[in-house]
Amino acid sequence: MADALPPAERLLNLVIALVNTPGRMTKEQIRASVAGYDREGSTDAFERMFERDKETLRELGVPIVTVHGPAHGDDAGYRVDLDAYALPPMELSAAQLAVLGLAAELWQDQTLRADAARALTKLRVVGATPSATDAVVGLAPRLHAAGPALGPLLDAANAHQVVEFTYRAASTGEVRRREVEPWRIIASRGGWYLVGLDRGRAAPRVFRLSRIVGDVTASGPPDAFTVPADADPMAMLVDAQHGPERTAWLAVAPDRAGALRSRAVAAPDEPPPAPAPPGLDLVAVPYDRDLADEIAGYTDAVVVLGPADLRDEVVRRLKEAVAMGDRLAERAGGRDG
Amino acid sequence: MAERTPERLVRLLGLVAYLDRHPGAPVEDVAAHFGVTPGQVLKDVDTLWVSGTPGYWPDDLIDFDASSHESGVLRLTQSRGMTRALRLGTREAVALVAALRALRESVGDALDPAERDVLASTLDTLTAATGEAAATVDVQLTVEAPPEVVAACRAGLREGRRLRIRYVNASDNVSERDVDPWQVLTGDEHSYLQAWCHTVAGERLFRLDRILAAQVLDEPVATRPGPARETTFRPTEAHDRVMLELDGPARWVAEQFPVEETVELPDGAFRVVLRVASPAWLRHLLLRVAPHVRAAEPAEVARDAADAARRALARYEG
Repeated sequence: MADALPPAERLLNLVIALVNTPGRMTKEQIRASVAGYDREGSTDAFERMFERDKETLRELGVPIVTVHGPAHGDDAGYRVDLDAYALPPMELSAAQLAVLGLAAELWQDQTLRADAARALTKLRVVGATPSATDAVVGLAPRLHAAGPALGPLLDAANAHQVVEFTYRAASTGEVRRREVEPWRIIASRGGWYLVGLDRGRAAPRVFRLSRIVGDVTASGPPDAFTVPADADPMAMLVDAQHGPERTAWLAVAPDRAGALRSRAVAAPDEPPPAPAPPGLDLVAVPYDRDLADEIAGYTDAVVVLGPADLRDEVVRRLKEAVAMGDRLAERAGGRDG
Repeated sequence: MAERTPERLVRLLGLVAYLDRHPGAPVEDVAAHFGVTPGQVLKDVDTLWVSGTPGYWPDDLIDFDASSHESGVLRLTQSRGMTRALRLGTREAVALVAALRALRESVGDALDPAERDVLASTLDTLTAATGEAAATVDVQLTVEAPPEVVAACRAGLREGRRLRIRYVNASDNVSERDVDPWQVLTGDEHSYLQAWCHTVAGERLFRLDRILAAQVLDEPVATRPGPARETTFRPTEAHDRVMLELDGPARWVAEQFPVEETVELPDGAFRVVLRVASPAWLRHLLLRVAPHVRAAEPAEVARDAADAARRALARYEG
């Protein structure tokens, strides 16, 4: 078992061999001469191992090129393209490396965390060692983990490959197979989203990664689509999350709803639609999509003065909560009797 | 757990290229630079020492000066052509560039000018080196707090001085507290000040958007920062257990909160068990999902929410 080297050492020897080969190495030459490959084992096992190794190296940025021999019928050979291998000339200061270290900390996902850590290892080669004074004081960015769908989606988006997955729709709970051209992956406000063309509906859609059920599989060849020049995935997501900018007028009980008060607009353009009832404070805040939920949550501490649609939204939610109470009480009563 | 193959390979290749640039670097420094132990660096060197081109005769192998090795420094004498720094793979470039962009967008304004320049130049350098690779991912981090609160927090952190904050908690109670700022945790949904609170004599996470005002005091901080905390709520046995049966459209409840268990029911409905730290938080949640609530236990949580809603409706009538 002299050949049972750890995979990292086999790959290291393969890279060194392919960098130093004068022309190219055929698979047979690699099998016979590179440390770590089993000369006595089956050809199938070697082929599988070699294909996997090639794939691993390419993912790591090692450019392995296939070179065909001059004579017809020659085995394909391989070498590493040294020009493409190298990072462009650059030097990173200790402070820059410290910022990169902070950026790499952002990812909580196994996949991207490992990717960022490896990138950092590579950049350390051309960087100076940060000291404590190079740290960006007191900032520690964190991002929610995206789950297993992220890795395959990223690869497919980079390669412009179509993906397929099973998706649970938010509005209806309906579970259906989707075929999507992945345009952009966006992390925003606690969620991860895929924006792309839903081929079944022939229209762009926003998908939430956490509603993907099971595996994401790339189907079909790379470069299967182009992202339309006028597509604006970020705007689509913002549309899905927000409405247009407006001001909401609220009457707030003294010392209550501090979080709302902290967002108060100093000098709104328009006057309030009505004065605050006696004993309540007048507060104006930006009207975004989630505001009705937030205000309803404060129950009797906040009263909406306007706009009317926000007031109606809040009143509807309060009535729904009253209805919930009645419904559940009735059920409990029915059970007792 | 054993180190994964790609991580080790990238470091082995990186070490050769780094040592080519830094002849005679002390083992300790190399270890600190790559964020590993000196023992690991020596193990890596042992591996490199027996790696090389086919044949694997002494002249084929990567080689080090043995005498300097014994004195605790590393001097490469044969690199076998591996002196170039390896470029970034597509996903590696995406991971770093997207994170740098997110930092710039979220906290750029809170940085001092020198820090901002470093961030900008790093992003430029990396974008130049990796091309358009990062166009597939966007990350929006949130610092939704008032700029003066963020500025005061960072000034306190930088100068090691105590802060006096006015804070409103999830139950809508306002309090004034003196805290030792430890760090700002910037998340994609909320940002937090991790601090030692002198008022309650304990470590606390303060959501930045709930800090109504912050003032830097003259007293220096008296506590040492602890490790960064998870910013998501971690339920414990001490919190009340609440069971909710919800219709499909309320699916986000199971996605957004740390639920103890989720049971799928026929017709898309589901049952979750939550641990609840604050009755006000639970009431708020029930108001958001009211039309989709099929059952709740204990029953009084639904009754409490409905009663509060009834009192609020009275404000709109008459």
